[in-house]
Amino acid sequence: MSIIEARGLTKSFVQAVKEPGLKGALKHLIVPRNITKVAVHPLDLSIETGETVAYVGPNGAGKSTTIKMLSGILKPSGGSISVNGINPYKKRMENAAGIGAVFGQRTQLWWDIPIVESFSLLKDIYEIPDHVYRNNLEQFIELLGMNEFIHLSARKLSLGQRMRADLAAALLHNPPIVYLDEPTIGLDVSVKQKIREFIKKINQEQQTTVMLTTHDLGDIEDLCKRLIIIDHGMIIYDGSLSEVKSRFARSRVIFFQVGSPMPELFAELDQTPGIRLTLQNEQEFSVAFDRYEYTASDVVSRVMRHGEVIDFRMEDANIEQVIKAVYDGNLDLNLNQQAQ
Amino acid sequence: MRVSRMFYLYRRLYVQQLKAILEYNKDFYILMCSAALTQVLGFVFLWVIYDRIPDINGWQFWEVTFMYAMIFVTEGVGSLFFEGTWRMSRLVNLGEMDRYLLRPVPVVLQVFCTGIGINGLGNMLIGGVIIWQSLIHGNVHFTPGKIFIILLLLITAVIIRVSINLAANSAAFWIKNAGNAFPLMVHNLADLAKYPLSLFPQAIRVFVSTVLPYAFISFYPATYVFGKSGWSGWWMLAPVAALGSMAAAYGIFRFGLSRYESTGN
Repeated sequence: MSIIEARGLTKSFVQAVKEPGLKGALKHLIVPRNITKVAVHPLDLSIETGETVAYVGPNGAGKSTTIKMLSGILKPSGGSISVNGINPYKKRMENAAGIGAVFGQRTQLWWDIPIVESFSLLKDIYEIPDHVYRNNLEQFIELLGMNEFIHLSARKLSLGQRMRADLAAALLHNPPIVYLDEPTIGLDVSVKQKIREFIKKINQEQQTTVMLTTHDLGDIEDLCKRLIIIDHGMIIYDGSLSEVKSRFARSRVIFFQVGSPMPELFAELDQTPGIRLTLQNEQEFSVAFDRYEYTASDVVSRVMRHGEVIDFRMEDANIEQVIKAVYDGNLDLNLNQQAQ
Repeated sequence: MRVSRMFYLYRRLYVQQLKAILEYNKDFYILMCSAALTQVLGFVFLWVIYDRIPDINGWQFWEVTFMYAMIFVTEGVGSLFFEGTWRMSRLVNLGEMDRYLLRPVPVVLQVFCTGIGINGLGNMLIGGVIIWQSLIHGNVHFTPGKIFIILLLLITAVIIRVSINLAANSAAFWIKNAGNAFPLMVHNLADLAKYPLSLFPQAIRVFVSTVLPYAFISFYPATYVFGKSGWSGWWMLAPVAALGSMAAAYGIFRFGLSRYESTGN
């Protein structure tokens, strides 16, 4: 059995329907009206030991709700879950001992006490053996550069410091699974880098299974081999990251800088199907094309026929564009069958 | 989880919380003094009444002060060691319960340690003095057995008090706004038990003996301590009331927790 397995997992919330204004509020007081909102439609999920999975989707798609059910915070409305072989909601404490979690929006640390004391509390809570604790602490302090702030209380830390401390706190007890819910939100590039490297290292050295939700596509490309996209509470893609890229990231862009304006070329390209021309100015423009229809050399030689090319560079479509297209509703992935 | 480990974790979490409070709460003494002052005022109020009338319904001054102080002492213990129950609406409404649910520690234990009401110290101090004085002035004949039972009644009183607080504050799982109105109302009903039960109509007597068994905190122990005939024997139900309220409170809390919805993100 997979380390994380969900079958027909679903969650719905009851929401009050209130008309606006005081009148609406009063009316609700007397005749309450509720609707049931389905946050997660029945979904199936299997994640194997040591996998790194990106779980992405637009705001409100049901990502956090799923993670909260998997981690034992929320009681599912239906379906079954097994994490480390146990039901996380029914055996909450047992489950909690075997997972680590970082919720980027909210710290797991004690607000008023020094980080190092928070860690030592966690040592007692998770009953971490002395040598494991010492080794991990030493290693984490070094990898995450925590020396400068380990003696401060959480309330005094900057966001980047706090997030590093939170990550360390979540992994002190060597959990086989770690859920990271937007662990790099609002962080600067160098802290992001540290955090990504840290996660990568833990995953490689300890076979820690990582489930990551993020809006940062750099996180995904850097860390995850598998991509799950959820939208409106339903999984719309589950497969390898490289596959989704090759299948859907078809567009390729070449930026040109040319010696003189080329009106004929512009006219010609405008007529060609599958090619999109964007003019920056007379001598700088970009050509976007489907890389399965045209080759880069096709495009470049066409341009060179019309005059001198001073410089050009090429960009491949990235996962960002794919996911953006999905978010915007422009791309119908509809490929559950194809991907699996 | 073993009981000894629960105590250990409680102590660890509590001491950390205490350190934080001592560092940040500069109004430490003000809080303590204001709690003590409230009690002294109540005491003076009773004294003024009894200065005019020698007894109410067969109850003397020092017997009533005993009941009065029992309510305050148990409130003090509740504030000092279980203040966290009063933070539940916050924990639920801001989704901070998430953090507790992620740790392999009983949630209720973590809730208890969420806060420390230092004002409880003032309540315990003055309340303790009043109980002490009541026992001295109340013509109580002490035997080792009696002292043991008084201590037992004190423990059951604390359990009942904390259980009612926990149950009332669990309303946060149903009432989804950050206020404390409901638990405060329940809490204030304890005022009924500051006076002899015999003053009240039957319905109220039954209410504070069963639904909210506040009478087992103050009145029934007083009937035992001061040997009030006519009520003899009822105090023996105190442990039952304590266990019952504990079980009910925990049940309500667990049921509420299953309804916990966290917050968006």
